[in-house]
Amino acid sequence: MNIVVLVKQVPDTYSERKLSDADSTLDRDSADAVLDEINEKAVEQALQIKEAGEGEVTVVCVGPDRATDAIRKALSMGADKAVHVCDDALHGSDVLATAKVIAAAIGKGDAPDLVLAGNEATDGGGGAIPAILSELLGLPQLTHAREVSIEGQTVKATRETDEGLTYLEANLPAIVSVAEKINEPRYPSFKGIMAAKKKPVDTFTVADLGVDAGEVGLGNAWSAVTEAAPKPPRAAGQKAEDEGDGGTKIAEYLVTQKLI
Amino acid sequence: MKLTLETEREQFAESITALLDAARVPDAARAWAAGDHAPGRTILSGLAELGVTGLAVPEEHGGLGAEAMDLVTAFRVLGEHAVPGPLVESIAFVPTLFTGLSDVDDCAKWLPELASGAVLASVRSLPLTPYALDADLAAVLAVLEGERLCFGTPAASLGSVDPTRRLFEVDPEAGVRAEGPAVRAAGAHAFELGALACAAQLLGLGTGALRMAVEYAKARSQFGRPIGSFQAVKHQLAEAHIGLELARPLVHGAAITLSSWEVSAAKRACARAADRAGRAALQVHGAIGYTSEHELSLWLTKIRALCAAWGGNAFHRDRVLSGTREAP
Repeated sequence: MNIVVLVKQVPDTYSERKLSDADSTLDRDSADAVLDEINEKAVEQALQIKEAGEGEVTVVCVGPDRATDAIRKALSMGADKAVHVCDDALHGSDVLATAKVIAAAIGKGDAPDLVLAGNEATDGGGGAIPAILSELLGLPQLTHAREVSIEGQTVKATRETDEGLTYLEANLPAIVSVAEKINEPRYPSFKGIMAAKKKPVDTFTVADLGVDAGEVGLGNAWSAVTEAAPKPPRAAGQKAEDEGDGGTKIAEYLVTQKLI
Repeated sequence: MKLTLETEREQFAESITALLDAARVPDAARAWAAGDHAPGRTILSGLAELGVTGLAVPEEHGGLGAEAMDLVTAFRVLGEHAVPGPLVESIAFVPTLFTGLSDVDDCAKWLPELASGAVLASVRSLPLTPYALDADLAAVLAVLEGERLCFGTPAASLGSVDPTRRLFEVDPEAGVRAEGPAVRAAGAHAFELGALACAAQLLGLGTGALRMAVEYAKARSQFGRPIGSFQAVKHQLAEAHIGLELARPLVHGAAITLSSWEVSAAKRACARAADRAGRAALQVHGAIGYTSEHELSLWLTKIRALCAAWGGNAFHRDRVLSGTREAP
């Protein structure tokens, strides 16, 4: 089975993240960069599927030079090879352009039986890439999966959303995006880290992929950030002294907020 | 000579750190001291999966055949998290000793099991290691006396300043497993690896204690501001940090040469730096740091115990002195 996993390098969730002053895109230098946690889970899922049967896991990443660290991590966990799309022209691309580039990058290799992704990245939080990609590649999408299993030529997934659980099934090839509860990703072992040094990483530019440079980048994005302001600090709350009437005061407050 | 770590070693350290951060090591250490080894053994199996236990075992015996630099990388992180157990014994000393004597079946047969982390090992080697750590948990208990290697069984248990260090007297068994100059040579080499691993562990312990102190100094307020803003506190922490930073290259340098006096220089410097970091941490924490209930105590007592383990200060200073006299 040929499994492709999409990975993204994001600013560490535990650090302070901000947008750059110049063009309101993500300021990548302001925070430590890590492999997005949800992608670690996607890689783990791919490895579990591979280990249960057989196959090859290819990591696909779109990002600047230093995204190689995120790729290394995925390879150290056990992925077999990687494709890195790295091009300054991609700076500021929106989800549509990014999905096009990813689709073209996937097309560079053998046709995948399964494409795995995280449900959404912790930085942009768009959560649209798996769906757009499914449209572009003409593959069924099974998103927000908290459980995935492969049975012959079918993939089954338990989709978890606020509305509850849905049981999905599709023929392979398909795209699956995994959610938080899917698994606990493994830590790269000494052997894995050493082996990753020798694993092949193909690097492509936008031109290599045959994507028109006029379709990508900040200038060609369908959405634009005109202004951004940091979240205001939390204002101090109201304090109610309990003089035997605390319950009433709380109720009154909730009434003013139209909550009860 | 390159004394900073390569990317792969940094990654390995990050992996071990991630595992231990998630593992609630202090709880496991307290349980270990109280005689419940299950949580500690779980952590050790996690470390084994990452390859930590196979580092000093050659590939042909089921290990990773890694370099001493990899070993010290791992031990620094183990120290930083105050992981309990016979780590130097099971991961550095005994695997190195048995690798040196791998033509002896009694030794070779243990190597794959040590590499996989399936068993723990301990050692008594007079005069520097008179008591075997966690001997009751060790599947193999080596008793090394000059040119003679035999195995032993644990006898009376003794206390340590570090409650997670459970020391035992050892009754040597009658049969000799290996004898001759090869035993002495393998023992000497294993000692260097053991002392160096202990040095790296101390470096990590000092780093861990200092980090707790820095966090505490930022969080604890007195006279209306965080205590970390007072110079007297800042300076202590900075001094401790400098000590640790200067000890680190000695560990890396000794990992490359493995010469006796450089290992001793590393052990001595790490013991001193860790001791200073521990003392600074204790001062910064105030009275709370002195209690056994506070997690800092796990670091403080382990630093104190390891300063004397694998050769005390006088022993290592002496080796540095004679080593530097001989050096060209």
